[in-house]
Amino acid sequence: MTRHLMKGVAAVAALLMVTTACGGGSDEARKTADGKDILSISVWNYEQTPEFKALFDAFEADNPTIDIQPVDILADDYSDKVTTMLAGGDKTDVLTMKNVTDYARYGTRGQLTDLTETVNGLPKDSYLGLDAFDLDGKYYALPYRQDFWVLYYNKKLVGDADLSNLTWAEYAALAKSKTNGDGAEKVYGSYQHVWRSVVQAIAASQTGGDQLGGDYAWMTDQYTMTLDLEKAGAIMPWGTANSQKVTYDSQFSTGKAALLPMGAWYSARLIADKAAGKHDVDWGVAPLPQTAKGAGVKTFGSPTAFAVNKNARNAAAAKTFVEWASGEKGATAVAKIGIYPSFTNDAVLAAYAGVAGMPTDDVAKKAFAPDSVMLEMPVSDKSSDVDQILKEEHELIMSGEKTIPDGIKEMGDRVKNEVG
Amino acid sequence: MTVLTSTARKRRRTTLIGWSFILPNFIGFAALTLVPVVAALALSFMEWDSYSSPEWVGLANFERMWNNANFWVALKNTCFYALGHIPLTLVAALGFAMLLNRPLRGVGLFRTALFFPYVTSLVAVAVVWNMLFSPDLGPINQFLRAIGIDNPPGWTTSSDWSMAAVVLTSVWRDMGYYMVLYLAGLQTIPPELYEAAKVDGAGAWARFRNITLPSLRPTTFFVVIMLTISSFKVFDLVQVMTEGGPGRSTLVLSQLIFREGITQGRFGYSSAISMVLFVIVLLVTLIQFRIQQRSER
Repeated sequence: MTRHLMKGVAAVAALLMVTTACGGGSDEARKTADGKDILSISVWNYEQTPEFKALFDAFEADNPTIDIQPVDILADDYSDKVTTMLAGGDKTDVLTMKNVTDYARYGTRGQLTDLTETVNGLPKDSYLGLDAFDLDGKYYALPYRQDFWVLYYNKKLVGDADLSNLTWAEYAALAKSKTNGDGAEKVYGSYQHVWRSVVQAIAASQTGGDQLGGDYAWMTDQYTMTLDLEKAGAIMPWGTANSQKVTYDSQFSTGKAALLPMGAWYSARLIADKAAGKHDVDWGVAPLPQTAKGAGVKTFGSPTAFAVNKNARNAAAAKTFVEWASGEKGATAVAKIGIYPSFTNDAVLAAYAGVAGMPTDDVAKKAFAPDSVMLEMPVSDKSSDVDQILKEEHELIMSGEKTIPDGIKEMGDRVKNEVG
Repeated sequence: MTVLTSTARKRRRTTLIGWSFILPNFIGFAALTLVPVVAALALSFMEWDSYSSPEWVGLANFERMWNNANFWVALKNTCFYALGHIPLTLVAALGFAMLLNRPLRGVGLFRTALFFPYVTSLVAVAVVWNMLFSPDLGPINQFLRAIGIDNPPGWTTSSDWSMAAVVLTSVWRDMGYYMVLYLAGLQTIPPELYEAAKVDGAGAWARFRNITLPSLRPTTFFVVIMLTISSFKVFDLVQVMTEGGPGRSTLVLSQLIFREGITQGRFGYSSAISMVLFVIVLLVTLIQFRIQQRSER
């Protein structure tokens, strides 16, 4: 009997050892079979996001002793996944900061390595979007890419209209005049994606409205214009776009929409897909339409950055990479595939304009040199709560459930009551 | 004396053997379910962002929940979903089981067809139903217009109808599984009962009420319990189909738990909501057990 018991105890002990062994893992930097240091970097949709491969290839060519291993995560789940990874003490060396809100959260929780000293040694004026990473004077990430919104247009569908200096009213009139056809043949004058930023962040960047403020009357005009376009049939109804999970690419690159307000990142995709023969749209880029004429080109966007995980296995190599990627060499590597880098100088801009297929006319030049780029969503500990409320009320206004004044009032009331 | 010790030893031995049989399963249950559940209970009285050390806050999380409109909206939506999903699935499953329990050419094909949604990827189900429900281009509204309804509902784009759309989709998905349970239940009813009833002159409805339904009581009890639990913890379907929208019209409790915990990093608060959800499911299940016991007496 005791023999049986001992056997049982031994079996349980063995099982426990096996299960707990999985939880361990060494803290030392890992090496490949041929002796290179392994640098792991979290990325999203690696195959569809060419900038990562461009950066990694260029970095490895520059640093032959380092082997980069991407940790690929589905773009939609990226924030949640990285949050969970960090909570579990994950040791991935470099973390890509997909948006500034998440960055602020990781940074304030002490999950990222302090890079303030490195930043203080940089020519700050050459970096677009660096300010967004300032958390009370400390920096925990360095941006390598700066997106801002522009207006894409289909040259064949738009014709010879002058797009260099549009107001939203002129944009709306143009969209209505370029709408034609019916049913499956219908061509919309424009496509406005379902995101709340298409209305709200545009309005904020051009009227000076504060998205965290609790008073949202400044969104009224942009909503009125958008709903009017929808009523006139000049843009796809929001409900259809949302329930069919329509992608903006499926509308613009198939010639179903003449205009498309979208982030500058889309250029890289249009260029790559055209080269691969996936579409043959003759496209151009114009500045985002403006609320008022003569006030310069005001747009919004967000920087993307790399940060060093505080638990990084290979912190030294991680730091080298982050600095390299955000600097001139990294900027050149991403500019060459049509992504607008955070760091710019004449050489980098020339590399960007020199991408085969990139529009280089005067209108495009104006679009690529906006006068101001406001952060898509201000960084604060309230950002993600407010974001959720603004998104929910945006859905209600766009689906016609609430009138514009009611929706805007509800936004304000909820932000004041629930976030406070 | 010796006899006594030997029975005691024997009993102890049997107990130990019994334990050793359930041990492998119990270790898994303890590590992956029991410990997290107890931890969640403790966490619901703390504030924790998953990184710094948890801080004891007493009942603050529950107070916050009480005063938070999102919680009440989610609770109401979850109950609404359960009230639609449980009876509709039950009736549909029983109805199809009755239909497919008779000798019929191609009965296997029909049974498979009805079970198919259950083994289909949920994400695919949600995306495709979303397209079917599309207000302008979707086949459902095109059909409704064709039969003369001029203003068909906006389904997933309307806050009044979005939950109905989710309920319909979930009923379609789940009924096949419960139908199989009912089919198994129906086969255990002795045919003699029906023959005797027929001889006594009982009609179809009388036979259904007095033979089928009472004989199926254990199955129904099991189905109701499973449906209740799955209704209250619904998450995946809503997340993919509507993400809780439009507005908050389909926001359910598990989604709120996910949002507050994983997305916002408020693990204490989200644990508190989980505890409330747990208590609700527990109470409803206990009530059902009580009703079942009473009806068996």
